[in-house]
Amino acid sequence: MKNTIFPLIALLFFPGGAFVLLSGLAYEWVDRKLVARLQNRIGPRWFQPLADTIKSLAKEEVIPDGVHPTLFIALPIIALAAALTAALYVPMAGLAPSFSFRGDLIVTLYLLSMMTLCTGLAGANTLDRFSLVGATRTLTQLFSYEAPFLLALLGPAIVAGSWQISDITAYAREHWWLILVTQPISLVVAMIGLMGKLELPPFDAPEAETEIVSGALTEYSGRGLALFHIGKNAELVIGLTLVSAFFLGGLANPIEFLVKTLALLVVIAVLQSLFARLRIDQTVGLWWRYGAILVLVQFLILVVLKGMGIL
Amino acid sequence: MDSNPQRQKFIIPIGPQHPALKEPGHFEFTIDGEIVTYATARLGYVHRGIEKGCEDRNWIQSLYLLERICGICSHVHATAYVLGVETLAGVTVPPRAQAIRVLVAELERIHSHLLWLGVAAHEAGFDTLFMYSWRDRETVMDLLESLCGNRVNYSANVLGGVKCDVTQELSDSIRKGLDYLEERTHYYLKVVTTDETFLGRTRGVGSLTPEQVDLLGTVGPTARASGLLRDVRIDSPYAAYPEYPVQIVIDHGGDLLARFVVRLKELFESYRVIRQILETLPAGDLTVRVPRKIPEGETVSRVEAPRGELFYYIKSNGSDKPDRIKVRTPSICNWASVIVTAIGHKLADMPMILAGIDPCFSCSDRSVHIIRNTDSTSETWTWQQLRQYGIQYYQR
Repeated sequence: MKNTIFPLIALLFFPGGAFVLLSGLAYEWVDRKLVARLQNRIGPRWFQPLADTIKSLAKEEVIPDGVHPTLFIALPIIALAAALTAALYVPMAGLAPSFSFRGDLIVTLYLLSMMTLCTGLAGANTLDRFSLVGATRTLTQLFSYEAPFLLALLGPAIVAGSWQISDITAYAREHWWLILVTQPISLVVAMIGLMGKLELPPFDAPEAETEIVSGALTEYSGRGLALFHIGKNAELVIGLTLVSAFFLGGLANPIEFLVKTLALLVVIAVLQSLFARLRIDQTVGLWWRYGAILVLVQFLILVVLKGMGIL
Repeated sequence: MDSNPQRQKFIIPIGPQHPALKEPGHFEFTIDGEIVTYATARLGYVHRGIEKGCEDRNWIQSLYLLERICGICSHVHATAYVLGVETLAGVTVPPRAQAIRVLVAELERIHSHLLWLGVAAHEAGFDTLFMYSWRDRETVMDLLESLCGNRVNYSANVLGGVKCDVTQELSDSIRKGLDYLEERTHYYLKVVTTDETFLGRTRGVGSLTPEQVDLLGTVGPTARASGLLRDVRIDSPYAAYPEYPVQIVIDHGGDLLARFVVRLKELFESYRVIRQILETLPAGDLTVRVPRKIPEGETVSRVEAPRGELFYYIKSNGSDKPDRIKVRTPSICNWASVIVTAIGHKLADMPMILAGIDPCFSCSDRSVHIIRNTDSTSETWTWQQLRQYGIQYYQR
């Protein structure tokens, strides 16, 4: 009996399911409110993301002509499911991950990429011209930030000598100053990679409203849109958790989790309001010209330090 | 047109309803990947028949109608009209009234340029600059409200003078507001010329050579950003501009960055002129009497709107109603430059290039040129035909 109840709770309430959904909404509110205050606006009320989600979920979902209906309905569900599954492998709320196996870091990172893939496919599935351009841009952006982001998160994995998230977190907790001192480049690339993943400004070319309305999700309304929205919020929380667990000295308890992830969120909010939107060619150029090279330099440093026996 | 191979490619429609457009207009960009290879513009969604409407109203009523051509530069429309009518009537307006006209016109220019700065920043995805510039724009909106009683359609002009006067108290609050705005404008100029991500979106984008500007008849700050000396306030000073001359602001870049720089530097010029007017405002009456019937004749009146040269042709047949009023707004002169510069740029640059000329759609929609989508013929409709079409359309 106990064997079935525990996984169910983990899936539906904590740390997957309801906890990720609600914390996603809360983090979205913090992000929106911070950006608004930085832009000298008032910003939304605390329940606004929840109200938006409930409204979208309750509305009719219009399936446009010319789409593959099954795919149209399935893609948001797959995207959300992948994001929620990823939550099971990361130390949510500072507690040990619910499930853990060797190499779960790679699985988690790919689960997080499912969201972007589903968005791209959702855009390519419709006949709408804004969606098609948006889908092209989404996938182009995926190919530009994904490799540097992955490499940046592999930095701590290499020094910890394990590709298991719980092992890396444990290592990071013991050697937090060592990671901070030796891997500042990875931290920066991982942070900016997370912004690229979530299509936050200045990496919001795939959904640039002044050019292509809402990008790949232009044709989505109602439930599908809400599910994509929730999925993106879940990714925000999971991404922040991963980065703070790896680079900011691990997550030992819920308070540490709150402080570290919110600190990262503040940095992300400031970065969002500082820059003008990059064109998609500028985004690709930035990642491959600087992001990838920087991460490789970081790897070189790590290899040399490891060879010298410092790490 | 459909046999054109360019048009069979991937076309991105922008408008009539689109998040980038605050007013309805329709643009089709043929793209190859992200590069625009062909562009067309279609206007006319907000045609309101104002020119014709003036012919049914008397000279005073027409003033209020013409002021509503544009919500942003309403004062220059009224100024162009009253200057023309006063020329026809042969009256001389008191110098104090002329100075106040210039004062309001320059305040309006400040409000218009700050508004444009925000819109252009928003098109570039730089919402922080958008929010900040619009917050500061409230200062000048409040000043205009305390001066004329309105934030948008100021109604400062009447035939033969102005309605509002500048008291000492008001003059102090305007000076205070200008000090704040001047400080902010220095900051914005620094942001648009030094912020790397923003420069990436403006430097070398939408470039126009002086030859192209001349050929396409571009006017206003867009022309001045390409190094052309084109400013009605200097070429043929009107109202009180002979007494309060402005220095022309030009830039030789020709790209979007140059347009930002020119518009922001023009703000400093406006601040200077306003301060000068407040210091040396001539005393005297605000209005002179203008006859109800304007003597027969025709005239042309040109003023410099925030977007460029605004042109009015006014014809009187000696009655109390205008015989013909023709308006040519700066936006309509600048459209051609958008279509020409769009080709070869990326789709992501289109909103910026569109916003770069500071377009005003409702200003543009004067003539009706019908192009049917069904049989691709085109014809120009007369007023009668248009009216008949409207009646039939709504009967269905």
